[in-house]
Amino acid sequence: MKVHVDPDRCQGHTLCSMIAPKMFELSDFDGHSSPVSEDVPADQEENVREAVRSCPERAIAITE
Amino acid sequence: MTVDNIPADTERRAPVFHFDRHTPQYREQFVDTAQEMQGKCPIAWTETYGGHWVAAGNREVFELARCPHISNDNDPAGERHGYQGISIPKPKRGSVMRAGILEMDPPEQRELRASLNPYLSPAAVQRWIPFVDEVIRAGIDEKIESGRIDFVDELANIVPAVLTLAMMGIDVHKWAIYNEPAHASVYTPPDSPDTARVAEMHRVMGIDLLTNYQEIKQNPRPGMIDAVARSTLLGVPISDMDALGMLSLIIGGGFDTTTALTAHALEWLSENPDQRELLSRERDLILDSATEEFLRYFTPAPGDGRTFAADCEVAGASFAEGERLWLSWAMANRDPEVFENPHEIDMERRGNRHYSFGLGIHRCIGSNMARMVFKRMLLAVLDRMPDYRCDPAGAVHYDTIGVIQGMRHLPADFTPGPRLGAGLEETLDKLQQACDEQRLAEPVTVHKGQAKI
Repeated sequence: MKVHVDPDRCQGHTLCSMIAPKMFELSDFDGHSSPVSEDVPADQEENVREAVRSCPERAIAITE
Repeated sequence: MTVDNIPADTERRAPVFHFDRHTPQYREQFVDTAQEMQGKCPIAWTETYGGHWVAAGNREVFELARCPHISNDNDPAGERHGYQGISIPKPKRGSVMRAGILEMDPPEQRELRASLNPYLSPAAVQRWIPFVDEVIRAGIDEKIESGRIDFVDELANIVPAVLTLAMMGIDVHKWAIYNEPAHASVYTPPDSPDTARVAEMHRVMGIDLLTNYQEIKQNPRPGMIDAVARSTLLGVPISDMDALGMLSLIIGGGFDTTTALTAHALEWLSENPDQRELLSRERDLILDSATEEFLRYFTPAPGDGRTFAADCEVAGASFAEGERLWLSWAMANRDPEVFENPHEIDMERRGNRHYSFGLGIHRCIGSNMARMVFKRMLLAVLDRMPDYRCDPAGAVHYDTIGVIQGMRHLPADFTPGPRLGAGLEETLDKLQQACDEQRLAEPVTVHKGQAKI
């Protein structure tokens, strides 16, 4: 699984990093999110799927 | 409007639904209203307040909030298009001033917001946790031996007020000057006999804010006032009027909303002691999801107004330039298309993409601070007064929830406990000293250190 955060859609709601703190890091400056790595380890897949479902801006995409 | 446009407007402005969120009936019938609108007319035209659109469906709110053709601009002087900002109807008080970034469009909005982000980002807010814990500790200590507290007046009003002033660079001892007008101006209707008193308190607060702003402009000290005073709009130094509008937005946004969330959550947990016990026990696992669920369910800021800046078609309806729109975050948060059992609180809800902090470029800039302060207050109450029982006879909800779904009072009884330290006044002395010595109100771009209290 690969994960992508669309920087134009992300507005820094921070839910993804609450749900999957190992997978998403937040900018110190404005809290906008980016993936720690594009490749999602198997043990993080469920959390990343939950982050996708929880993003108010629908800014996170996964490809399998 | 030309005569030719009238039939077209009548045809377009459908379905029609009577929507008046400023009446007490709206609060009482909120669930029925949300269900009826989502079932029949997720976007509707209402004749109230000069006529405006209302978006109630989750998908419709999502598409409209992110649509590039809607504007937040408030232009009281008629310098641009004369739009009326985010309030429907236009407020009587303060109508000459736009409410900071919330009533600006890009690029102005982006420019001013960028100067405030490093004070309010998740990393910036972390610094304040020991400070917040100390305010909470002192507030609870004032009441812990008595076995009775008003969670609104004696806790949830104090903590956001003290923190907001500290982050702005205002002396924390002044929290009371700001506290009552910030809340009362939300819950006091224009026809109330108390209006003159509230207006006077508001005036005193305004003078103190202006005094602080002018002092800081002359002799800078860290905080969001300094950031606003130094900022530019379209490359030009910000006007005093726009600066004060921004600072008033920080106060309006920082005070009443967090209080509202905390009071409602504490009231619900009192009514559901098994859930309270579960939350306390499993806090490491469910505090985050419970917080998001309280945000979704109670939606302290229930919506925002917008203006269409161009003719456009969105989510199956067609809109004309200049028309007003109400985006109901509160109803979108109860849409069964997105939320299973939307009218129930599920502290472990998954996929909770609620809109309580808004959507798009205007996402609440204080959201990280709000969550942090809420969680710290909630945990302190669960730890120090775990058996509290709210007194329903003394609980006072706002009569109307058109602007903020808040509470004025929430008294509770609990088993008394021991004090842990100094009272509030003495604690504020210590906290102000920490602000000054450690320069706590600097942005995270200047230093990242955590407060040492």
